Amino acid sequence: MARHLRFIARTVMVQDGNVDTAYKNLNRMLTQDGIIDAVKRRRYFEKPCRERRRKNFENCRRIYHMEMARKIAFVSRTNREDPWLGC
Amino acid sequence: MFNFRCVFNSASTLCRQLITPLNVNGTASQCGIRRLPQLRPLFLSAVSHQEAEASTGKDFSHLPPMPGQDSPLRWAGKKFEELPIIHIKATYNNTHIQLTDSAGQSLVRTSCGTEGFKNSKKSTPIAAQTAGISAAAKATVKGVTFVRVVVKGLGPGRLSAIKGLTMGGLQLVSITDNTPVPHNGCRPRKARRI
Repeated sequence: MARHLRFIARTVMVQDGNVDTAYKNLNRMLTQDGIIDAVKRRRYFEKPCRERRRKNFENCRRIYHMEMARKIAFVSRTNREDPWLGC
Repeated sequence: MFNFRCVFNSASTLCRQLITPLNVNGTASQCGIRRLPQLRPLFLSAVSHQEAEASTGKDFSHLPPMPGQDSPLRWAGKKFEELPIIHIKATYNNTHIQLTDSAGQSLVRTSCGTEGFKNSKKSTPIAAQTAGISAAAKATVKGVTFVRVVVKGLGPGRLSAIKGLTMGGLQLVSITDNTPVPHNGCRPRKARRI
């Protein structure tokens, strides 16, 4: 990161000497941005064949989880109109 | 966070002036980066949640003070840019800790090896903690109290070196992560088959 300004990105200030919270915040930011993931993956080379299969798998997994979350949110709604009204 | 960085890299002062209204509105301004509106609200929501918890009359921002802005924060009379920096390089086999001043001149250098650990014992969190404590002790001898921390690498000593620094008596002001992530540069070594 020699070409970038330092101490701007990926930085967390420590509040009241609370180093653990600051480190946790930093870790959360990094995992949400996928940096920890990327660094772990780049430790060893990943062949292009495996990379394509993994990306495909992650896509399918993402779609499945989104749809399932949608379904659960739909099914667990509480305030809905009476479906049997008028019968 | 990549786009966070490239925002500040491309036109630093311009984008900073554009981003402070972005902070307030939460909508896209004329910044030319497309993904920015999606990233900023994510971070803003985290920040506002934290500030709602900690808003006991003291406005603490999780973002560091920018070199252009004049923020009133001072640590031992020094501005954020003048504080000494501790570089922690946490590799998988060892942890190095180096204290430099804001210009980059090295003051103190410790590592797990200089603490007397050998071979596999260097790649433990305890070794990193002892290295942190000794680095903090040497730093207080030189008269350093407030310090910014820059961490590089994902190794076993990443957190415990920071803990060791606080145990040794240094006050941390900010933690930065400078782990090198190539945009597909050098090819790493082949996968291990254990």
